Amino acid sequence: MKKLNLIIAILFMLGFGWSCSSGDSNSSEQPAQQAANNGLSQWELENGIGPVKAKMTLNAVDSELAASGEKIFDMKCMACHKMAERYIGPALGDVMQRRTPEFVMNMMLNPDEMVKKHPEVQKMLATYMVPMTFQNVSEEDGRALLEFIRANQK
Amino acid sequence: MEKSSITKRLGMIGLVITVAVMLAIACATQKKASLTDGSAAEEVYVPPGSYDEYYSFFSGGFSGQVTVYGLPSGRLFRIIPVFAQHAENGWGYSEETKDMLMTSHGFAPWDDAHHPELSQTDGVPDGRWLFINANNTPRVARINLSTFETEDILEIPNSGGNHASPFVTPNSEYIVASTRFSLPIPQKDVPISEYKKHFKGTITFVSVNPDDGLMDVAFQIMVPGYNYDLAHAGKGPSNGWAFFTCYNTEQASTLLEVNASQNDKDFIAAVNWKLAEQAIAEGNYRTMDVDYYHNYLEHGSRTTISENKKSVRILDPASVPGLIYYLPTPKSPHGVDVDPSGEYIVGGGKLASVIPVHSFSKMMTAIENKEFEGEVDGIPILKYQSVIAGEVQNAGLGPLHTEFDGKGNAYTSAFISSEVVKWKLGTWEVVDRIQTYYSIGHLMIPGGDSQKPWGKYLVAMNKITKDRYLPTGPELCHSAQLIDISGDKMRLLLDFPTMGEPHYAQGIPASILQPKTTKIFPIEDNTHPFVAKSEREAGVTRDGRDVHVKMTTIRTHFAPDNIEGVKVGDRVYFHITNLEQDWDVPHGFAVQGMNTAELLVMPGETRTLIWEAKKVGVYPFYCTDFCSALHQEMSGYIRVSPRNSSITLSHNAQR
Amino acid sequence: MNRNARMLMLIASLLLVVPYFVPIWEITLEAPQYPEGLGLKIWIDTIDGLNPRDLDKVNNLNHYIGMKEIVPESIPELKLMPFIVGFMLIFGLLTAYFARPALVYSWTVLFIIVAIIGLVDFYLWEYDYGHNLDPTAAIKIPGMSYQPPLIGSKQLLNFVAISLPDIGGYSIFIAILLGVIASYTTFKSSKNKTRISNNETAQDADSGTTARRTATTDKLHAGPGAHSIRS
Repeated sequence: MKKLNLIIAILFMLGFGWSCSSGDSNSSEQPAQQAANNGLSQWELENGIGPVKAKMTLNAVDSELAASGEKIFDMKCMACHKMAERYIGPALGDVMQRRTPEFVMNMMLNPDEMVKKHPEVQKMLATYMVPMTFQNVSEEDGRALLEFIRANQK
Repeated sequence: MEKSSITKRLGMIGLVITVAVMLAIACATQKKASLTDGSAAEEVYVPPGSYDEYYSFFSGGFSGQVTVYGLPSGRLFRIIPVFAQHAENGWGYSEETKDMLMTSHGFAPWDDAHHPELSQTDGVPDGRWLFINANNTPRVARINLSTFETEDILEIPNSGGNHASPFVTPNSEYIVASTRFSLPIPQKDVPISEYKKHFKGTITFVSVNPDDGLMDVAFQIMVPGYNYDLAHAGKGPSNGWAFFTCYNTEQASTLLEVNASQNDKDFIAAVNWKLAEQAIAEGNYRTMDVDYYHNYLEHGSRTTISENKKSVRILDPASVPGLIYYLPTPKSPHGVDVDPSGEYIVGGGKLASVIPVHSFSKMMTAIENKEFEGEVDGIPILKYQSVIAGEVQNAGLGPLHTEFDGKGNAYTSAFISSEVVKWKLGTWEVVDRIQTYYSIGHLMIPGGDSQKPWGKYLVAMNKITKDRYLPTGPELCHSAQLIDISGDKMRLLLDFPTMGEPHYAQGIPASILQPKTTKIFPIEDNTHPFVAKSEREAGVTRDGRDVHVKMTTIRTHFAPDNIEGVKVGDRVYFHITNLEQDWDVPHGFAVQGMNTAELLVMPGETRTLIWEAKKVGVYPFYCTDFCSALHQEMSGYIRVSPRNSSITLSHNAQR
Repeated sequence: MNRNARMLMLIASLLLVVPYFVPIWEITLEAPQYPEGLGLKIWIDTIDGLNPRDLDKVNNLNHYIGMKEIVPESIPELKLMPFIVGFMLIFGLLTAYFARPALVYSWTVLFIIVAIIGLVDFYLWEYDYGHNLDPTAAIKIPGMSYQPPLIGSKQLLNFVAISLPDIGGYSIFIAILLGVIASYTTFKSSKNKTRISNNETAQDADSGTTARRTATTDKLHAGPGAHSIRS
């Protein structure tokens, strides 16, 4: 019963977010499409909202960078994430198949706005219940974390 | 008509008139209190989501704490625990903070906090630190205005009743302290009746390290056994001097309300602290064995370091000529306030009918010309007429404290007549007055005791509130009143209740403090010996009967959250590290049956609570600060087995 | 003494019952710190506060300026006053009963004298409290005395002191006023009575013509009233 209430509450919040952002939208083109996307551009839908606004060029995994990423991961991420299985949040062992690197970066660097605005992340919130927290991750740390995650894909 | 009936009628009319007049007199004496005008509400209204213009810091008086209010709204933002244990966040209870309250008398969980004072640079509040004194067991504390946290408490040796404190010099070189209650120095077993023979006072200068703010007793000046009441440092031309009021020059030790009120004039002591520095540099001092504590938070571990100190440097005025001069000041002066220009020194003779204002330049001339009328213990007494610049007449009854608006006006609180009196520096004429409700003590203008007051608002701090708020039994709140001083006439804008007794307050524009607030403590920088920087580091270890639990918190779970193998008689140390790195996400921790206060753990810090395993059973612990939608799920259990149980210590944190 | 005068004397006497139940004088002290009021009520036999414990509060305030403590038990007048008022009450009732003009006059004159003595005595007490101050008091203001006004208001430091009669006091004043009126009407009618009795004895006329004759003989028999008092 409690869970059901929570889902209803979340749906309500989603609805509220919808009406709110459609109100904010200035664009008159394709209003229905815009509303469904919470006013996000196609690029943002694919790559997330946050400081990463352009495609990253990724080379082969840099194992040194991945090692420094692991230290940060232990401190700031592992309380909620495991590679192989779902924990508080989703398993990260296959995240690079599901998301673009830019999306992963923006999720780490700007979780609050992602949870608020991104329809994909809102779907995740409905599944996992706990919103992803901001862990004061700098862009540099985020890059190292990304490398660690890339190094540990299934 | 017959004459007699006319007379009779006149008689009756006379009677009616007499009664009517008497009733009229009775009615006319029922005065109505004047209140605010129509626009006051708009002027103090800070709409939801908007910020106040000023931070203000009020002393909590007998609560021992500091409270933070916004101006002009009068909204309370936070209580900063300082000199009293604060169960709300574990201050003075947790293992990391309890040593902050150590003194040479042992653990002192309460004190009486009086005067908040902002640190200054070039005579202007800089928003780095807030200092405050403890009156009962003499101490000074320093609060960091980025973290809004007390991080330094220094005990003042050779002191009783540290009241004239912690007023700051223009570049925060020193804060001052002194003895409101003189003592035998060093302490010894003497008859109280031999006060005059044995009792001494001290004036203490506490140095403040310009880099990290750490305080230390720089030197103490041995002074006659009077009661030193309040102080303010000189500024501008008078920089290098500090001024202290004293009363009880009668040196009474009993029934002071009468016996210390007999002399027509007591003193303001003018202390040349630059000369004191010189004397110290020249070695013209003696050292004295004392016992006092200096407690401060080490930044990485956020744990108290408590040092017991054993020695101070003492200066004797007789052997450092020119160190102190006494300025005669009428009737047991209380406040001493230096105007923004640094020229005028205003005394608040609480039993006097005028406000005496001394002139710094006249004082310097009088010193040069040796215009003395006597000497006490090697301290020359200057002639009143030689130093006085003017007297403010009709300045209210019981003048206590004066603040300045930077536009040439001074504002004095008058306790007995319950009013703020505005007067002009230089002409000494009273230009306005406004009632306060009731019995005002201190008053405060943001920056009003500095060289650059922000003279827009004045806050009156009142001791008596009676009919001002809904009653709450015998104990009523003290109160502050916000007064607009931007125009010619003062206007009452707002009443708001305060915590404890707000002896004094300080105010500073929000624009100075707001940008530099600390949001989190970076977990990387945490050097606590029992930190768990990741769930991988969490765990449980045994050291004899001590069990150390290194536990982490993040929305919305503890790790570990199941602990077994603890036995009756164990002391369990819960070291809680909050792994959150986001602003405004503290986690709380409490475990059933604990005999201490909860922990409130800020993002990135570690706090420790001791729990005695007394009885066999399984005991829940949980997060006490609503942290997320699944806060109610944030809990765990600790199992306590019999002493002779063979269950080994275990936990369920991930490896 | 006519019926009206007797009635006035009866009312005047009965008014003197009032001071036994309500205060005769009130001194209020107004200051910002005392929004609920502070003051003293002077009764016929004691002094107490406007609010409970006000006397203690006033005494406590007064110690700052070195004023003597007000102790109602130590004021002999408060012991005497119930008897004085009681005496005037009984005297007044007897006056109403016997209806002798001499009694009315003496009651009124005596009461006025008593009232004046009372006010002077009150003033002297106030003077004593206001001026006879302890030289070691905490608050000493040169030239300042703290004598409350006899009647009216006066600023004493932060207090406005207002001294006014209370209901009991008004009752006494009205009683005196009624006595004066009674005396006056008695005096007037006794002059008339004298004239009437003169006419009656001289002419032995029936009552129907008396009034007219009285009017006509007015000038003839005008004279000092002293000899016309009935004995």
